[in-house]
Amino acid sequence: MEKKLSKKTLLKSFHNWYYGHLTCFSQEHMQTFGYLCSMLPLVEELYDNEEDKAAAMNTYTAFFNTEPQLGTVVVGITAGLEEARANGTEDVDEETINGLRAGLMGPIAGIGDSLVVGTVIPILLGIAMGMSTGGSPLGAIFYIIVWNLFAYFGMRFMYFKGYELGGKAVDFLIGTQGEALRDAISTLGGIVIGAVSATWVSVTTSLKLLNDAGEPYLVLQDKLDSVFPGLLTAVFIIICWFLMAKKRMSPIKVMLVLVVVAFVGVLVGFFNPGLAY
Amino acid sequence: MQISWIQAVLLGLFACLSSMPGMGGSSIGNYTLGRPLIGGLVCGIILGDIPTGIMVGCAMQVVYIALVTPGGTVSADVRAVSYIGIPLAMVALSSYGLSAESSEGAALATSFGTMVGTLGTVLFYGTATVNLLWQHMGWKAVEKRDYKKLYLIDMGLPWISHLLCSFIPTMVMCKMGASVVELIKTTLPMDGIAMKTLFTVGALLPCVGIAILLKQIVKNAADFIPFLFGFTLAASLGINLVSATVVAGMFAILIYRLKMLSANKVAVAGGYDEEEEEDI
Repeated sequence: MEKKLSKKTLLKSFHNWYYGHLTCFSQEHMQTFGYLCSMLPLVEELYDNEEDKAAAMNTYTAFFNTEPQLGTVVVGITAGLEEARANGTEDVDEETINGLRAGLMGPIAGIGDSLVVGTVIPILLGIAMGMSTGGSPLGAIFYIIVWNLFAYFGMRFMYFKGYELGGKAVDFLIGTQGEALRDAISTLGGIVIGAVSATWVSVTTSLKLLNDAGEPYLVLQDKLDSVFPGLLTAVFIIICWFLMAKKRMSPIKVMLVLVVVAFVGVLVGFFNPGLAY
Repeated sequence: MQISWIQAVLLGLFACLSSMPGMGGSSIGNYTLGRPLIGGLVCGIILGDIPTGIMVGCAMQVVYIALVTPGGTVSADVRAVSYIGIPLAMVALSSYGLSAESSEGAALATSFGTMVGTLGTVLFYGTATVNLLWQHMGWKAVEKRDYKKLYLIDMGLPWISHLLCSFIPTMVMCKMGASVVELIKTTLPMDGIAMKTLFTVGALLPCVGIAILLKQIVKNAADFIPFLFGFTLAASLGINLVSATVVAGMFAILIYRLKMLSANKVAVAGGYDEEEEEDI
Protein backbone atom coordinates (compact mmCIF):
# COMPACT_ATOMS: atom_id res chain seq x y z
CA MET A 1 0.00 0.00 0.00
CA GLU A 2 1.25 3.48 -0.87
CA LYS A 3 2.21 5.36 2.28
CA LYS A 4 0.91 8.90 2.54
CA LEU A 5 1.69 11.37 5.28
CA SER A 6 -1.42 12.75 6.94
CA LYS A 7 -1.98 16.50 7.10
CA LYS A 8 -2.00 16.27 10.89
CA THR A 9 1.47 14.73 11.01
CA LEU A 10 2.85 17.22 8.50
CA LEU A 11 1.49 20.08 10.60
CA LYS A 12 3.04 18.59 13.73
CA SER A 13 6.35 18.34 11.94
CA PHE A 14 6.03 21.94 10.75
CA HIS A 15 5.16 23.20 14.24
CA ASN A 16 8.13 21.39 15.73
CA TRP A 17 10.33 23.23 13.24
CA TYR A 18 8.53 26.58 13.63
CA TYR A 19 9.07 26.54 17.38
CA GLY A 20 12.08 24.33 17.99
CA HIS A 21 14.59 25.01 15.22
CA LEU A 22 16.87 27.08 17.43
CA THR A 23 15.81 26.36 21.01
CA CYS A 24 18.66 23.92 21.57
CA PHE A 25 21.30 25.87 19.66
CA SER A 26 25.00 25.28 20.11
CA GLN A 27 27.95 26.41 18.03
CA GLU A 28 28.68 22.78 17.21
CA HIS A 29 25.35 21.39 15.99
CA MET A 30 23.28 24.56 15.47
CA GLN A 31 19.85 23.55 14.12
CA THR A 32 20.47 19.79 13.95
CA PHE A 33 18.30 18.93 16.97
CA GLY A 34 15.46 21.13 15.74
CA TYR A 35 15.63 19.22 12.47
CA LEU A 36 15.55 15.84 14.25
CA CYS A 37 12.47 16.92 16.22
CA SER A 38 10.63 18.04 13.09
CA MET A 39 11.40 14.78 11.24
CA LEU A 40 10.42 12.54 14.18
CA PRO A 41 6.62 12.65 13.72
CA LEU A 42 7.05 11.87 10.01
CA VAL A 43 9.40 8.96 10.61
CA GLU A 44 7.09 7.51 13.27
CA GLU A 45 4.14 7.58 10.91
CA LEU A 46 5.98 6.22 7.89
CA TYR A 47 7.85 3.27 9.41
CA ASP A 48 6.58 0.48 11.63
CA ASN A 49 9.71 -1.42 12.52
CA GLU A 50 12.44 -0.02 14.73
CA GLU A 51 15.28 -0.74 12.29
CA ASP A 52 13.73 1.41 9.55
CA LYS A 53 12.96 4.19 12.01
CA ALA A 54 16.56 4.21 13.22
CA ALA A 55 17.90 4.23 9.66
CA ALA A 56 15.65 7.16 8.75
CA MET A 57 16.44 9.18 11.88
CA ASN A 58 20.12 8.55 11.37
CA THR A 59 19.93 10.50 8.09
CA TYR A 60 19.02 13.67 9.94
CA THR A 61 21.82 13.54 12.48
CA ALA A 62 23.96 15.29 9.86
CA PHE A 63 24.78 18.91 10.65
CA PHE A 64 22.19 21.47 9.57
CA ASN A 65 22.10 25.26 9.75
CA THR A 66 20.48 27.86 7.53
CA GLU A 67 18.24 30.92 7.75
CA PRO A 68 15.36 29.27 9.65
CA GLN A 69 12.39 31.16 8.20
CA LEU A 70 13.19 30.55 4.54
CA GLY A 71 14.91 27.28 5.44
CA THR A 72 11.49 25.80 6.24
CA VAL A 73 11.29 24.94 2.54
CA VAL A 74 14.18 22.48 3.00
CA VAL A 75 12.34 20.70 5.83
CA GLY A 76 9.27 20.47 3.58
CA ILE A 77 11.32 19.04 0.72
CA THR A 78 12.86 16.36 2.96
CA ALA A 79 9.38 15.46 4.26
CA GLY A 80 8.42 14.70 0.66
CA LEU A 81 11.65 12.78 0.06
CA GLU A 82 11.24 10.73 3.23
CA GLU A 83 7.75 9.76 2.10
CA ALA A 84 9.15 8.72 -1.28
CA ARG A 85 11.89 6.70 0.42
CA ALA A 86 9.33 4.92 2.64
CA ASN A 87 7.46 3.97 -0.53
CA GLY A 88 10.64 2.43 -1.87
CA THR A 89 11.39 4.99 -4.59
CA GLU A 90 14.72 3.79 -5.90
CA ASP A 91 16.86 6.89 -6.32
CA VAL A 92 16.05 8.35 -2.88
CA ASP A 93 18.48 7.30 -0.18
CA GLU A 94 20.42 8.82 2.69
CA GLU A 95 23.01 10.20 0.32
CA THR A 96 20.56 12.06 -1.95
CA ILE A 97 18.67 13.52 1.02
CA ASN A 98 21.79 14.78 2.76
CA GLY A 99 23.32 15.93 -0.51
CA LEU A 100 20.25 18.06 -1.10
CA ARG A 101 20.22 19.39 2.46
CA ALA A 102 23.89 20.32 2.32
CA GLY A 103 23.48 21.86 -1.13
CA LEU A 104 20.56 24.07 -0.15
CA MET A 105 21.82 25.22 3.27
CA GLY A 106 24.25 27.79 1.87
CA PRO A 107 22.16 29.48 -0.85
CA ILE A 108 19.02 29.56 1.33
CA ALA A 109 20.97 31.10 4.20
CA GLY A 110 22.33 33.77 1.85
CA ILE A 111 18.96 34.66 0.34
CA GLY A 112 17.17 34.37 3.70
CA ASP A 113 19.60 36.56 5.62
CA SER A 114 19.44 39.35 3.07
CA LEU A 115 15.71 39.02 2.31
CA VAL A 116 14.10 38.24 5.68
CA VAL A 117 16.53 39.61 8.26
CA GLY A 118 18.14 42.26 6.09
CA THR A 119 15.08 43.62 4.29
CA VAL A 120 11.62 42.52 5.43
CA ILE A 121 12.24 42.93 9.17
CA PRO A 122 13.97 46.34 8.83
CA ILE A 123 11.16 47.62 6.57
CA LEU A 124 8.52 46.50 9.09
CA LEU A 125 10.55 47.99 11.95
CA GLY A 126 10.99 51.22 9.98
CA ILE A 127 7.25 51.58 9.50
CA ALA A 128 6.64 50.59 13.14
CA MET A 129 9.11 53.22 14.35
CA GLY A 130 7.34 55.80 12.22
CA MET A 131 4.16 54.95 14.13
CA SER A 132 5.89 55.25 17.51
CA THR A 133 6.38 59.00 17.69
CA GLY A 134 5.80 60.36 21.17
CA GLY A 135 6.06 56.88 22.65
CA SER A 136 2.90 55.47 21.11
CA PRO A 137 2.63 51.67 21.43
CA LEU A 138 0.86 51.50 18.05
CA GLY A 139 4.06 50.79 16.09
CA ALA A 140 5.13 47.93 18.35
CA ILE A 141 1.66 46.37 18.15
CA PHE A 142 1.68 46.76 14.36
CA TYR A 143 5.04 44.97 14.14
CA ILE A 144 3.99 42.14 16.49
CA ILE A 145 0.87 41.40 14.43
CA VAL A 146 2.23 41.85 10.89
CA TRP A 147 5.57 40.09 11.43
CA ASN A 148 4.09 37.10 13.21
CA LEU A 149 1.32 36.55 10.67
CA PHE A 150 3.91 36.89 7.90
CA ALA A 151 6.37 34.54 9.61
CA TYR A 152 3.86 31.85 10.59
CA PHE A 153 1.88 31.67 7.36
CA GLY A 154 4.95 32.35 5.21
CA MET A 155 6.83 29.47 6.82
CA ARG A 156 3.79 27.20 6.64
CA PHE A 157 3.43 28.02 2.95
CA MET A 158 7.13 27.27 2.37
CA TYR A 159 6.88 23.96 4.20
CA PHE A 160 3.93 22.67 2.19
CA LYS A 161 5.31 24.01 -1.11
CA GLY A 162 8.51 22.14 -0.37
CA TYR A 163 6.58 18.97 0.45
CA GLU A 164 4.41 19.14 -2.69
CA LEU A 165 6.92 20.37 -5.25
CA GLY A 166 10.18 18.96 -3.89
CA GLY A 167 13.26 20.54 -5.46
CA LYS A 168 11.10 22.62 -7.82
CA ALA A 169 10.00 24.76 -4.84
CA VAL A 170 13.47 26.28 -4.75
CA ASP A 171 13.39 27.28 -8.43
CA PHE A 172 11.02 30.11 -7.57
CA LEU A 173 13.54 31.52 -5.11
CA ILE A 174 16.55 31.38 -7.38
CA GLY A 175 14.80 31.77 -10.77
CA THR A 176 14.18 34.94 -12.80
CA GLN A 177 10.97 35.85 -11.00
CA GLY A 178 12.61 35.41 -7.62
CA GLU A 179 15.53 37.54 -8.70
CA ALA A 180 13.26 40.34 -9.96
CA LEU A 181 11.33 40.18 -6.70
CA ARG A 182 14.52 40.34 -4.64
CA ASP A 183 15.79 43.36 -6.61
CA ALA A 184 12.47 45.14 -6.13
CA ILE A 185 12.36 44.40 -2.39
CA SER A 186 15.96 45.44 -1.86
CA THR A 187 15.29 48.81 -3.56
CA LEU A 188 12.22 49.23 -1.34
CA GLY A 189 14.44 48.40 1.63
CA GLY A 190 17.09 50.90 0.54
CA ILE A 191 14.61 53.77 0.30
CA VAL A 192 12.91 52.95 3.62
CA ILE A 193 16.26 52.65 5.39
CA GLY A 194 17.27 56.05 3.97
CA ALA A 195 14.12 57.54 5.45
CA VAL A 196 14.67 55.72 8.75
CA SER A 197 18.19 57.09 9.06
CA ALA A 198 17.15 60.65 8.24
CA THR A 199 14.37 60.41 10.84
CA TRP A 200 16.12 58.57 13.68
CA VAL A 201 19.85 59.21 13.28
CA SER A 202 21.23 62.65 13.93
CA VAL A 203 24.92 63.46 13.88
CA THR A 204 25.54 67.15 14.46
CA THR A 205 28.61 69.27 15.02
CA SER A 206 28.86 72.14 17.44
CA LEU A 207 31.83 73.72 15.65
CA LYS A 208 31.53 77.49 15.39
CA LEU A 209 34.12 80.05 14.32
CA LEU A 210 33.86 83.35 16.19
CA ASN A 211 34.95 86.78 14.94
CA ASP A 212 36.71 89.40 17.11
CA ALA A 213 33.46 90.60 18.62
CA GLY A 214 32.60 87.08 19.71
CA GLU A 215 29.85 86.69 17.10
CA PRO A 216 29.85 83.39 15.24
CA TYR A 217 30.54 83.95 11.53
CA LEU A 218 30.58 80.28 10.60
CA VAL A 219 28.22 77.73 12.11
CA LEU A 220 29.42 74.54 10.44
CA GLN A 221 26.22 72.56 11.05
CA ASP A 222 24.08 75.19 9.27
CA LYS A 223 26.55 75.38 6.36
CA LEU A 224 26.48 71.60 5.94
CA ASP A 225 22.70 71.43 6.15
CA SER A 226 22.38 74.13 3.49
CA VAL A 227 24.34 71.88 1.11
CA PHE A 228 22.24 68.76 1.86
CA PRO A 229 20.06 68.46 4.94
CA GLY A 230 21.51 65.81 7.23
CA LEU A 231 24.80 65.71 5.29
CA LEU A 232 26.92 64.88 8.34
CA THR A 233 24.65 61.96 9.28
CA ALA A 234 24.79 60.55 5.74
CA VAL A 235 28.59 60.94 5.62
CA PHE A 236 29.05 59.09 8.92
CA ILE A 237 26.80 56.24 7.76
CA ILE A 238 28.74 55.92 4.51
CA ILE A 239 32.06 55.94 6.40
CA CYS A 240 30.80 53.11 8.62
CA TRP A 241 29.67 51.21 5.53
CA PHE A 242 33.09 51.76 3.95
CA LEU A 243 34.92 50.47 7.03
CA MET A 244 32.78 47.33 7.19
CA ALA A 245 32.24 46.54 3.51
CA LYS A 246 35.58 47.63 2.05
CA LYS A 247 37.95 47.38 5.01
CA ARG A 248 36.29 44.23 6.34
CA MET A 249 36.10 45.55 9.89
CA SER A 250 33.69 43.90 12.33
CA PRO A 251 30.79 45.99 13.71
CA ILE A 252 32.37 45.96 17.18
CA LYS A 253 35.65 47.36 15.79
CA VAL A 254 33.74 50.09 13.96
CA MET A 255 31.96 50.94 17.22
CA LEU A 256 35.35 51.25 18.94
CA VAL A 257 36.56 53.54 16.14
CA LEU A 258 33.48 55.71 16.78
CA VAL A 259 34.30 55.87 20.50
CA VAL A 260 37.75 57.23 19.58
CA VAL A 261 36.25 59.64 17.04
CA ALA A 262 33.75 60.86 19.64
CA PHE A 263 36.47 61.33 22.27
CA VAL A 264 38.75 63.30 19.94
CA GLY A 265 35.76 65.22 18.58
CA VAL A 266 34.73 66.27 22.08
CA LEU A 267 38.31 67.32 22.92
CA VAL A 268 38.66 69.59 19.87
CA GLY A 269 35.13 70.95 20.23
CA PHE A 270 33.71 69.35 17.07
CA PHE A 271 31.11 67.48 19.14
CA ASN A 272 29.35 68.92 22.14
CA PRO A 273 26.12 67.30 23.23
CA GLY A 274 25.38 70.44 25.29
CA LEU A 275 24.88 68.69 28.60
CA ALA A 276 23.93 70.53 31.74
CA TYR A 277 22.22 69.71 34.97
CA MET B 1 12.85 54.92 39.52
CA GLN B 2 13.49 51.62 41.29
CA ILE B 3 13.08 48.12 39.90
CA SER B 4 11.34 45.75 42.30
CA TRP B 5 12.08 42.03 42.60
CA ILE B 6 8.85 41.09 40.84
CA GLN B 7 9.67 43.43 37.95
CA ALA B 8 13.22 42.02 37.77
CA VAL B 9 11.83 38.45 37.69
CA LEU B 10 9.46 39.33 34.83
CA LEU B 11 12.28 40.96 32.88
CA GLY B 12 14.38 37.83 33.46
CA LEU B 13 11.59 35.65 32.10
CA PHE B 14 11.30 37.71 28.92
CA ALA B 15 15.08 37.50 28.53
CA CYS B 16 14.77 33.68 28.47
CA LEU B 17 12.11 33.83 25.78
CA SER B 18 13.71 36.40 23.54
CA SER B 19 17.39 35.65 23.14
CA MET B 20 18.85 34.36 19.89
CA PRO B 21 18.64 30.66 20.74
CA GLY B 22 15.62 31.57 22.87
CA MET B 23 12.75 29.65 24.39
CA GLY B 24 10.17 31.66 22.45
CA GLY B 25 11.36 30.18 19.14
CA SER B 26 13.08 32.47 16.65
CA SER B 27 9.95 34.06 15.10
CA ILE B 28 8.25 34.98 18.37
CA GLY B 29 11.30 35.06 20.61
CA ASN B 30 14.23 36.52 18.72
CA TYR B 31 12.47 38.42 15.93
CA THR B 32 9.53 39.72 17.97
CA LEU B 33 10.24 39.93 21.71
CA GLY B 34 13.96 40.41 21.12
CA ARG B 35 13.61 43.50 18.92
CA PRO B 36 14.33 46.59 21.08
CA LEU B 37 11.16 48.31 19.86
CA ILE B 38 9.01 45.45 21.19
CA GLY B 39 11.30 45.12 24.22
CA GLY B 40 10.57 48.79 24.85
CA LEU B 41 6.84 48.06 24.93
CA VAL B 42 7.29 45.05 27.25
CA CYS B 43 9.67 46.92 29.58
CA GLY B 44 7.34 49.91 29.50
CA ILE B 45 4.43 47.73 30.60
CA ILE B 46 6.48 45.98 33.33
CA LEU B 47 7.97 49.21 34.68
CA GLY B 48 4.76 51.18 34.29
CA ASP B 49 5.91 53.80 31.78
CA ILE B 50 4.99 52.75 28.23
CA PRO B 51 5.88 56.01 26.39
CA THR B 52 9.41 56.11 27.86
CA GLY B 53 9.87 52.39 27.15
CA ILE B 54 8.87 52.83 23.52
CA MET B 55 11.07 55.90 23.02
CA VAL B 56 14.10 54.16 24.55
CA GLY B 57 13.32 51.05 22.48
CA CYS B 58 13.16 53.11 19.27
CA ALA B 59 16.51 54.76 20.01
CA MET B 60 18.17 51.36 20.47
CA GLN B 61 16.28 49.76 17.59
CA VAL B 62 18.13 51.93 15.06
CA VAL B 63 21.47 50.43 16.14
CA TYR B 64 20.12 46.90 15.82
CA ILE B 65 17.79 47.33 12.86
CA ALA B 66 19.49 44.60 10.85
CA LEU B 67 21.06 42.27 13.32
CA VAL B 68 22.01 39.40 11.04
CA THR B 69 23.70 36.47 12.73
CA PRO B 70 25.42 34.67 9.86
CA GLY B 71 26.56 31.22 10.94
CA GLY B 72 25.75 31.97 14.56
CA THR B 73 28.28 34.75 15.10
CA VAL B 74 26.79 37.65 16.97
CA SER B 75 28.02 41.18 17.56
CA ALA B 76 25.34 41.94 20.14
CA ASP B 77 22.89 39.98 22.24
CA VAL B 78 19.24 40.99 21.90
CA ARG B 79 18.14 39.74 25.33
CA ALA B 80 20.78 41.96 26.94
CA VAL B 81 19.87 44.97 24.79
CA SER B 82 16.13 44.63 25.29
CA TYR B 83 15.76 43.35 28.84
CA ILE B 84 18.86 44.70 30.59
CA GLY B 85 19.74 47.75 28.45
CA ILE B 86 16.25 49.21 28.15
CA PRO B 87 15.28 48.95 31.85
CA LEU B 88 18.63 50.40 32.94
CA ALA B 89 18.39 53.21 30.38
CA MET B 90 14.90 54.00 31.69
CA VAL B 91 16.26 54.14 35.24
CA ALA B 92 19.16 56.32 34.09
CA LEU B 93 16.87 58.72 32.23
CA SER B 94 14.65 59.22 35.25
CA SER B 95 17.70 59.59 37.48
CA TYR B 96 19.24 62.24 35.21
CA GLY B 97 15.87 63.87 34.69
CA LEU B 98 16.15 63.60 30.89
CA SER B 99 13.19 63.12 28.56
CA ALA B 100 13.41 60.03 26.35
CA GLU B 101 12.18 62.12 23.45
CA SER B 102 15.07 64.61 23.59
CA SER B 103 18.18 63.89 21.52
CA GLU B 104 20.27 63.70 24.73
CA GLY B 105 17.86 61.14 26.12
CA ALA B 106 18.08 59.05 22.94
CA ALA B 107 21.89 59.31 22.97
CA LEU B 108 22.10 58.17 26.59
CA ALA B 109 19.75 55.25 25.88
CA THR B 110 21.75 54.24 22.80
CA SER B 111 25.14 54.22 24.55
CA PHE B 112 23.71 52.29 27.49
CA GLY B 113 21.98 49.75 25.28
CA THR B 114 24.96 49.17 23.03
CA MET B 115 27.38 48.81 25.91
CA VAL B 116 25.13 46.22 27.56
CA GLY B 117 24.41 44.53 24.23
CA THR B 118 28.08 44.09 23.39
CA LEU B 119 28.92 42.75 26.86
CA GLY B 120 25.84 40.54 26.56
CA THR B 121 27.41 38.44 23.79
CA VAL B 122 28.92 36.55 26.76
CA LEU B 123 25.37 35.38 27.54
CA PHE B 124 24.90 34.17 23.97
CA TYR B 125 28.07 32.07 23.99
CA GLY B 126 27.23 30.90 27.51
CA THR B 127 23.80 29.58 26.52
CA ALA B 128 25.15 27.89 23.41
CA THR B 129 27.88 26.21 25.44
CA VAL B 130 25.55 24.89 28.15
CA ASN B 131 23.31 23.52 25.38
CA LEU B 132 26.21 21.26 24.35
CA LEU B 133 25.49 19.28 27.52
CA TRP B 134 21.89 18.56 26.45
CA GLN B 135 23.01 17.76 22.93
CA HIS B 136 25.48 15.25 24.33
CA MET B 137 22.54 13.59 26.09
CA GLY B 138 20.65 13.86 22.80
CA TRP B 139 23.23 11.82 20.89
CA LYS B 140 23.03 9.16 23.59
CA ALA B 141 19.26 9.07 23.16
CA VAL B 142 19.60 8.71 19.38
CA GLU B 143 22.03 5.82 19.87
CA LYS B 144 19.59 4.09 22.22
CA ARG B 145 16.72 4.86 19.81
CA ASP B 146 14.93 6.66 22.59
CA TYR B 147 13.62 9.26 20.14
CA LYS B 148 10.83 10.67 22.36
CA LYS B 149 13.57 12.11 24.51
CA LEU B 150 14.57 14.44 21.66
CA TYR B 151 11.64 16.72 22.50
CA LEU B 152 12.91 17.11 26.05
CA ILE B 153 16.42 17.77 24.71
CA ASP B 154 15.34 20.32 22.11
CA MET B 155 12.54 22.15 23.91
CA GLY B 156 12.75 21.36 27.62
CA LEU B 157 16.28 21.18 28.95
CA PRO B 158 17.53 24.42 27.29
CA TRP B 159 15.37 26.20 29.91
CA ILE B 160 18.14 25.30 32.35
CA SER B 161 20.72 27.00 30.10
CA HIS B 162 18.50 30.06 30.11
CA LEU B 163 17.97 29.98 33.84
CA LEU B 164 21.75 30.25 34.19
CA CYS B 165 22.59 32.56 31.30
CA SER B 166 19.45 34.67 30.81
CA PHE B 167 17.23 34.69 33.87
CA ILE B 168 19.73 35.15 36.68
CA PRO B 169 22.01 37.69 34.93
CA THR B 170 19.03 39.78 33.79
CA MET B 171 17.35 39.72 37.19
CA VAL B 172 20.53 40.63 39.05
CA MET B 173 21.60 43.35 36.60
CA CYS B 174 18.16 44.99 36.67
CA LYS B 175 17.99 44.84 40.46
CA MET B 176 21.53 46.17 40.92
CA GLY B 177 21.30 48.58 38.01
CA ALA B 178 19.64 51.45 39.81
CA SER B 179 22.47 51.75 42.34
CA VAL B 180 25.11 51.43 39.58
CA VAL B 181 23.45 54.26 37.65
CA GLU B 182 23.51 56.34 40.84
CA LEU B 183 27.22 55.56 41.25
CA ILE B 184 28.02 56.59 37.66
CA LYS B 185 26.10 59.80 38.21
CA THR B 186 28.12 60.80 41.26
CA THR B 187 31.54 59.78 39.90
CA LEU B 188 31.22 61.13 36.35
CA PRO B 189 30.02 64.73 36.14
CA MET B 190 27.70 65.60 33.24
CA ASP B 191 29.93 68.35 31.85
CA GLY B 192 33.10 66.21 31.96
CA ILE B 193 34.84 64.70 28.95
CA ALA B 194 33.69 61.14 29.78
CA MET B 195 29.98 61.94 29.77
CA LYS B 196 30.28 64.18 26.70
CA THR B 197 32.01 61.32 24.89
CA LEU B 198 29.38 58.84 26.06
CA PHE B 199 26.55 61.00 24.71
CA THR B 200 28.39 61.67 21.44
CA VAL B 201 29.02 57.95 20.96
CA GLY B 202 25.32 57.41 21.54
CA ALA B 203 24.52 59.74 18.67
CA LEU B 204 27.09 58.08 16.37
CA LEU B 205 26.29 54.41 17.06
CA PRO B 206 23.07 54.22 15.02
CA CYS B 207 25.26 54.88 11.94
CA VAL B 208 26.78 51.42 12.47
CA GLY B 209 23.35 49.80 12.57
CA ILE B 210 22.31 51.45 9.32
CA ALA B 211 25.68 50.61 7.75
CA ILE B 212 25.28 46.90 8.62
CA LEU B 213 22.03 46.99 6.69
CA LEU B 214 23.55 48.88 3.76
CA LYS B 215 26.23 46.21 3.53
CA GLN B 216 23.42 43.81 2.52
CA ILE B 217 21.95 46.13 -0.10
CA VAL B 218 24.81 48.18 -1.51
CA LYS B 219 27.07 46.29 -3.92
CA ASN B 220 28.31 49.24 -5.97
CA ALA B 221 28.15 53.05 -5.73
CA ALA B 222 24.88 53.31 -7.71
CA ASP B 223 23.11 51.25 -5.03
CA PHE B 224 23.53 54.19 -2.68
CA ILE B 225 20.99 56.18 -4.71
CA PRO B 226 17.83 54.49 -3.29
CA PHE B 227 19.24 55.00 0.22
CA LEU B 228 20.01 58.67 -0.43
CA PHE B 229 16.64 59.07 -2.15
CA GLY B 230 14.88 57.85 0.98
CA PHE B 231 17.14 60.04 3.11
CA THR B 232 16.20 63.08 1.02
CA LEU B 233 12.48 62.27 1.25
CA ALA B 234 12.65 62.40 5.03
CA ALA B 235 15.39 64.99 5.66
CA SER B 236 14.65 67.55 2.95
CA LEU B 237 10.98 66.99 2.16
CA GLY B 238 9.91 66.02 5.69
CA ILE B 239 7.94 62.98 4.54
CA ASN B 240 7.15 60.54 7.38
CA LEU B 241 8.18 56.88 7.38
CA VAL B 242 4.83 55.35 6.47
CA SER B 243 4.46 57.69 3.46
CA ALA B 244 8.08 57.08 2.48
CA THR B 245 7.32 53.34 2.43
CA VAL B 246 4.42 53.93 0.03
CA VAL B 247 6.68 55.93 -2.30
CA ALA B 248 9.29 53.18 -2.03
CA GLY B 249 6.64 50.57 -2.81
CA MET B 250 5.82 52.39 -6.04
CA PHE B 251 9.46 52.15 -7.13
CA ALA B 252 9.61 48.49 -6.11
CA ILE B 253 6.65 47.71 -8.39
CA LEU B 254 8.28 49.58 -11.29
CA ILE B 255 11.53 47.67 -10.84
CA TYR B 256 9.75 44.34 -10.63
CA ARG B 257 7.78 45.01 -13.82
CA LEU B 258 10.91 46.22 -15.66
CA LYS B 259 12.92 43.18 -14.62
CA MET B 260 10.18 40.77 -15.62
CA LEU B 261 9.76 42.59 -18.94
CA SER B 262 13.44 42.32 -19.81
CA ALA B 263 13.52 38.70 -18.63
CA ASN B 264 10.57 37.82 -20.87
CA LYS B 265 12.23 39.59 -23.81
CA VAL B 266 15.35 37.50 -23.34
CA ALA B 267 13.21 34.38 -23.16
CA VAL B 268 11.39 35.31 -26.39
CA ALA B 269 14.67 36.15 -28.15
CA GLY B 270 16.08 32.85 -26.92
CA GLY B 271 13.04 31.10 -28.42
CA TYR B 272 13.78 32.52 -31.86
CA ASP B 273 17.36 31.33 -31.67
CA GLU B 274 16.22 27.80 -31.02
CA GLU B 275 13.88 27.88 -34.01
CA GLU B 276 16.64 29.05 -36.30
CA GLU B 277 18.86 26.25 -35.11
CA GLU B 278 16.16 23.75 -35.87
CA ASP B 279 15.84 25.10 -39.42
CA ILE B 280 19.51 24.53 -40.02
